[in-house]
Amino acid sequence: MTRAHLPALIAGAAIVASLACSDIGAPARTSYYAWRLLVPYDSAGPRVDTLSFHWPRNALPVKIWVEDQFSAPDRVREGIALWKPAFLYGEWDAKLVGDSSAADVIIRTVPPPSPSPAALRFHMSFQSCSGATDIDTATTRRQLRVPVHSYIDPSLPNAPDFTACLRTVVAHELGHTLGLFQHSPDSLDLMFTDPTVDALSDRDIGTAVSAYHYPANMVPVRP
Amino acid sequence: MRILTCMLALAGALPLPLAGQVRYSVTFGATGGTALLRDRIFQDIEVTQTIAPTVILGASVPVSRRERAGLEVALGFAGSRIEESGFPTTDGPGFRTLSVTFGVEGPLFSQFTYHGAAGLMKYLADDEEGIFRQGGPLLLVLAGGVDYHLPIRGPVGLVARIRYDYQRFSTDELRATGFTGTQDVHRIGLGLGLEYPRP
Repeated sequence: MTRAHLPALIAGAAIVASLACSDIGAPARTSYYAWRLLVPYDSAGPRVDTLSFHWPRNALPVKIWVEDQFSAPDRVREGIALWKPAFLYGEWDAKLVGDSSAADVIIRTVPPPSPSPAALRFHMSFQSCSGATDIDTATTRRQLRVPVHSYIDPSLPNAPDFTACLRTVVAHELGHTLGLFQHSPDSLDLMFTDPTVDALSDRDIGTAVSAYHYPANMVPVRP
Repeated sequence: MRILTCMLALAGALPLPLAGQVRYSVTFGATGGTALLRDRIFQDIEVTQTIAPTVILGASVPVSRRERAGLEVALGFAGSRIEESGFPTTDGPGFRTLSVTFGVEGPLFSQFTYHGAAGLMKYLADDEEGIFRQGGPLLLVLAGGVDYHLPIRGPVGLVARIRYDYQRFSTDELRATGFTGTQDVHRIGLGLGLEYPRP
């Protein structure tokens, strides 16, 4: 290498650098269903508000308290492990906590009580169990009152498919607690009203990802 | 560490006349780079890498009257940041980069020498999550740089280095998510090193 080689070296490096400026191709992500909460209200006439929620990054991991019956904590752990990989950028995570007073989500293994007037209930039934999640938007509609309450109703705990039922129902209700406030119209999605699958479809993943990158207009608040 | 051990073993196994001409170096510095990933979900998302403290171990032998050929092992400790319009910037997974490159070096002018190399770089994720959920990639890396040998006396030389490398980044998790192609990543490192014996 001599001084005479230096211009050629610099030119070669410049050519390499100019050729090497391409970005990775991002997926289209067009597969999702409606997830936002539609809230009717009647100030100045009947109207519908469209509300979007996701847990803020500084609230992660979401703290979940679950009643320790019917191996429900194990099913919740499985549900977390199912949903978490849907998020490429760590948009959502959750963990179990032992103190319900600190929880963002409370999951009880009892039949759901009558919902409060302010709450919207998502209910799904399966063969040997069912589930429900109440979304309480408080009075302003721009606030989600936490803790969010989910209920797992073990209607037939001795049924052979009970564990599988719990797995599906818990994963489905977790989907509501993370911000999917509508049911999918497709029976192959976990978030279908009465799901027949226990895994996330591409639409479930696409919808969850969309919910966490769409600007939220609801914030979690504690009473 | 296994690579480093092998390198030292190879150096020790060199024929005695050649072993006497081996020049060893250790360099401490910092490396920064362009984005690892650009994405768009309603708005633009960019995964950037933090400045990485880096240590480089090298050994070279003469291959001509002016040029030397050698091996460098570089270990960097980096993190990632996820930047999205309208959202707070958050920390992504941390990782280390381990590269092994073979290259040549020779005089440019005055106290300056050039360095050109190619090799492999492995991303070692601290936690297998996010873009590294299925592990870190092993990538081809092209490197170049310029060294300035400070004019000091004694058997040990002091060298200031600037290093550039280029790689095409992707991961198994990104491909599984539907990403296509690769992201061109350019990195620049600055360091201060010791070499023995000095040139």
